[in-house]
Order: sequence, then C-alpha cells, then structure tokens
Amino acid sequence: MSTRHSRAAEAYLKDDAVASRHDQTFFAVRQKRDRMAAALPEWEDLREAASQIKKHTATHLADYLERFERNATRNGVSVHWAEDADEYNRIVADILAAHNVRKVVKSKSMLTEECHLNENLERQGITVVETDLGERILQMMKLAPSHIVMPALHVHREDIGACFRRLIPDFDEIARSYDRPHDDPNDPTFLTYVARMHLRQQFAEADAGMTGANFGIAETGDIVVCTNEGNADMSTSLPRLHIVSMGIEKLIPDYASMGVFQRFVARSGTGQETTVYTSHFRGPRPGGEMHIVLVDNGRSDILGDPEHWQTLKCMRCGACMNTCPVYRRSAGYSYTYFIPGPIGINLGMLRDCHLYHDNLSACSLCCSCDNVCPVKVDLSSQIYRWRQQLDDLGHASRMKRLMSKGMAALFNRPKLYTATLRFAPLINVLPSALVSNRLNPWTYGHTMLKFPRKSFHEQWKQLKNEEKK
Amino acid sequence: MSSREEILSRLRHNTRETFDMPDLAALTPITFADPVAEFIHKTTTTAGATLIEMQPTDRLDDLIRRAYPEARSVASNLPGVRTDVNPDTVAEAQELMHVDVGVVQGCIGVAENACIWIPQQTKEKAVCFAVQQLVILLPRDAIVSNMHQAYALIQTSTDYFSRYPFGTFISGPSKTADIESALVYGAQAARAVTVILTPP
Ligand code: SF4
Ligand code: SF4
Repeated sequence: MSTRHSRAAEAYLKDDAVASRHDQTFFAVRQKRDRMAAALPEWEDLREAASQIKKHTATHLADYLERFERNATRNGVSVHWAEDADEYNRIVADILAAHNVRKVVKSKSMLTEECHLNENLERQGITVVETDLGERILQMMKLAPSHIVMPALHVHREDIGACFRRLIPDFDEIARSYDRPHDDPNDPTFLTYVARMHLRQQFAEADAGMTGANFGIAETGDIVVCTNEGNADMSTSLPRLHIVSMGIEKLIPDYASMGVFQRFVARSGTGQETTVYTSHFRGPRPGGEMHIVLVDNGRSDILGDPEHWQTLKCMRCGACMNTCPVYRRSAGYSYTYFIPGPIGINLGMLRDCHLYHDNLSACSLCCSCDNVCPVKVDLSSQIYRWRQQLDDLGHASRMKRLMSKGMAALFNRPKLYTATLRFAPLINVLPSALVSNRLNPWTYGHTMLKFPRKSFHEQWKQLKNEEKK
Repeated sequence: MSSREEILSRLRHNTRETFDMPDLAALTPITFADPVAEFIHKTTTTAGATLIEMQPTDRLDDLIRRAYPEARSVASNLPGVRTDVNPDTVAEAQELMHVDVGVVQGCIGVAENACIWIPQQTKEKAVCFAVQQLVILLPRDAIVSNMHQAYALIQTSTDYFSRYPFGTFISGPSKTADIESALVYGAQAARAVTVILTPP
C-alpha cells in the first residue's frame, strides 16, 4: 500500500544511476541559485518587495486587469477573456481559423499545457511546433515536461539523437553542414545545431507565433517574455500574427515592479544573472496583429481561499523544485499533477483535491522551498495545511498510514545520500504552521531527514560489502 | 454576463483583504564603483559575448569586419555602417535569416547582468534575432549599474516604443542547456554577439 507518488518514486529509484544524476543536476542548479543570492546584498529585501508587490496586485487584480486592458487596447492589441480552458482553446482556435493558420510556432507556456491547447489545435488539423529546445524534444518524443523551466533534463542525449534521426526529415543534410569535429554522434553541441536548423525552418514557415507571458505590465500594456534561446522572439519576428496566452495572475503594476522581477526570474530559477532575452511586446509588428488572451481557469477562485491564495504570487521560476529533496529524488513524473514539486503539489490540490491529493505525500516538510521562493509563497505551510484538511476530505487515515513508507523509499537510498548531507543545514527548520504542533503525525519526514553523518558511512560501508559479495 | 464581467466580478468578490504597494524607492540595489568595467567583465564572461572598445580613430565598418571577417552580408539601417540588406525595406522578415551580421544600436547597458536595452529601430525586428551574428553598438556613457536604473530610464523616456511597439534586453548570444545541462551557444537566434562600446 502506498500513495501514487511513492509508488512511482519507488519504481523510479530502481535505477540508481538515473536517479542520482537527476538529483545532482538539479542540486547543481540550486547551488548556482545560492551563489546568485549571495552576490546581491539586497536579496532578502528584494524577496520581501516581490512578495508585497504580488500581494498588492493579487488583491487589486480586477482594477489592474482593467487598466492593462485599456492600455493594451490603446496600443492596438486585441484583448480576450477566457473563464476556463475550453473558452481559452476556443478563442485561440477562432483567431487561428480567421487567419487560415496551418502551422503555429510556440514558445514555452505552462498555461497552454494546463489547458491542453496543443491537442486541441492538432485535432483541428493545425500543426503546432514547440520551439523551446527542451519542449521540442519532449514533443517529438511524446513525453510530458518533468520540470517547469528545464523540462527535458531527464532525457538522455542518446535518446534525443535517436529521436532526431528518426523524426527530422532532413537530418542527414543538416548533419553534413555541421563543420565542427565531434567524436560523440550525440554530442549536445551537434544536436543543438541540428535542432537550430530544424527549428529555424519552422519559424520561417509558420503562419502564427504563440508565446506565454512572464509578466504583463498594467501601466503600459506590455507583455514581457524571458527566454535564453530567443525562440519567443523568433516566433514573433517572422510570422505576422502573435497570440499571447497569459494567466491573470501574471500581471504586475508597473516598470518599477518589473525591475524587481527581472532580477529574480533567472537568478532564482536557473542561477543566471539574467535570461539572454527580456522582450517587451507593446503592440503588433508593422502589418501584423497581436492578441492577448487573459485566462482565469480557476485563479479567481483561488483568490477567495484564505489558506492558499498566496499561490497566486508564483511566477513559475522553478526554484522550489530544484531545491526540493523529494522532487530531486523522485523526478517530475512521480507526481500526478502536470506541475511537479512544491508548487505543483499545491496547485494540483487547488485544481482538484480529490484527484491530486496523492502528491501531498511527496513532502518531508523540510521548508527548503519556502526559503528559496523569490516571492515567498509559504509552500510547506500550505502543504501542511492541506494535510490537516485531508481529514475533512476523507483521505486522511489512508494517507497517514502510507506516508512513512513513501518517505522511507525516498530517503533510504545510500547512493543518493550525498546531496542530503550537503542539504543538512536547511532541514531542521519547521514550517510556521507546524511549530505549535510538533507531535503531529504528519511530521514524519523530519525524523527521516535527520540522518546522522555516522550512520551514512556505516550504511555506505554495508552497501560496498554487499556489492562485493 | 460576459466572461470578462464574470472574471472581474469574481475577483472583486473574492478579495477579502487588500495590501498596499511596497515603497520600492526604499530598496538599495547593488551599484558598482566602475559600472563600465563591470559591464565589460559580465559581457565577456557570463554573457558569452565579445566586446570591442572603439577608439575615436576607429572606423565602424573596420571593427565589424574585424569581428566577423568571413561575413558576406550585413544588415542595418544605421548611418555610417556599410550594409547589404536594409531591415526597413526587406519584403519579408525571413530574408534576414540568411544575413551573416546584423548591426543595431543599444541604448542602455546594465552592468549587473550585461543586458543591453535595444528598442526596435527597424521595420523588421528580426534583425536582432534571426541574423546569424549580432553587433550591438553601445555608447560607453550609457551604462548603469542595475535593472532598476535601466527600467527607470526607459519608463521616463519618450524615445522608446514611439516608432515601434517593441524593445528587448539582450545579454549575449542565444543559448541553451536543454540537452543534459550542457551549455551551448547558438540555440535558435543569433549565435554570436559582439558589443562595440562607442566613445561618448
Ligand atoms: S518542504 Fe516539502 S515540498 Fe518543500 S522542499 Fe521540503 S520536501 Fe520539498
Ligand atoms: S512557488 Fe516560488 S519558487 Fe516555486 S516556482 Fe513559484 S515563484 Fe518559483
């Protein structure tokens, strides 16, 4: 007996090499993020400011949306409103149909994932090409993202190479035009070149470009999109039609706020000082059209939830995933909601608490996510509160019984242990909601996480001895 | 009720408590004693670009040629740059995909992250992205320490967004680490960037 997350995690952990590589990959990103934070003396002040801006905007959202709409409309942009995924898909399909669009190039957007846009468009005979390299790899391999910012890091180069050889029609021709010597036929630089040539062809052919929005700015009507690859810019510089999909919570008041968030997105998420491109779209390109679809899909209801409304502050940077020891050890597919990790556990519960409550077991309440979140979403306290609420939802006793097994599977893995040790200074902090209630059965993860250094080495020795046998 | 009205009224109804905007002027963001030196450092290290400090006696065309000696075509609308393709007059933006070098004017440099503010200045903004390699001119006295300062300058200026409704910060060449975290320059957009710091 176990939760769906712990079962999936156990299966995943059977391959120690894969699991520890995943763990190390994301721990390295987390460390890069730490170096970014340490380099800015104002880091904590920025986090507080970012959190307050988001709280302010979320609690004045109707006014700001009206202002945003006024400014965008004045800039010549068509603004649409979608209450739910169905309406959103309909609006996009109608715009594309009105322009006889056959092929769409798309930059990464978790919102389109949330609304299953691609499947919907493909059913109508429209070709949708993801242009973020990671997303394109997943699309070709028919896989779902395993992380919201680095969606394909769990896929291995050999599989990517095989997929490209099979599915990119002019692979051989592209390969012949590559002039740098490489021994490995799946050398990442070579494969990236192949993808570049393949995707540039797609940009040139597409009839429309779709982007998400990292931010919308009420004061000016700007849409801001941040990428490293420049794929959002390619998607909007070649086709004449640009459709933006934006969750209503992505709005911020003004340029002064934008300064705060621009400094955070990349530093928190990938440990870079900035993304390569931070592009401000304030209207259609000459001779083109720009549409913004504002999507609610449950967000306005979240605002009314006194316990969980602060998830609306999330800017989808991915930092909480990179730091989460459970995410790093169990990887994205172990979670049943399409957004994994700390924020995904919470957003899944808000989407459908009966469907996604299994993910609540994927947390040891170590609080690391709270400490890295640039907008101070109280992720672990929210998970804790959900667990309390499970009693009312009728899932609690089962969950309580199964928690210990799931956590044991995740943390009793000697080969994955190194990162746990490095992680140690953070793990003895309790989420604020828990402090007054230390004897609660839900605190299981804490006892599991307090591995004394000695016992690790004993375990390690034991493992070595067993391997020799 | 339309979806718009529904969403707005639900938001108003579900707002239980309101919070004030923080005083952002109270932030004390990092500044550098020598922003130009820091900008040069960040541009040539983390951003992965090349940087040339133009001397008053240098000719722009020579510097561009020196940066990309193998280039067969240059696209720009800047005065004083010898060009083969004009991004103001190309029939289709796609033509710029085959251009070896695009040359554009940057207006604000940011020392903390090597970002350069480039307001759209040609009919086709593809000149910033679709070309193979990009040269960005930046006056050396247009460098600030941090993004807060850059955004304050953009917000109070009437120079940007008036001709074309687009502007972008670019920090180095297009890059990706999506295959096994290996950093590769030259993802989809310009695969190399040279910044030319022009004398004030
Ligand atoms: S508190 Fe839970 S969700 Fe957050 S980082 Fe720790 S284990 Fe992950
Ligand atoms: S909850 Fe915070 S850390 Fe996690 S993705 Fe959202 S903004 Fe980033």
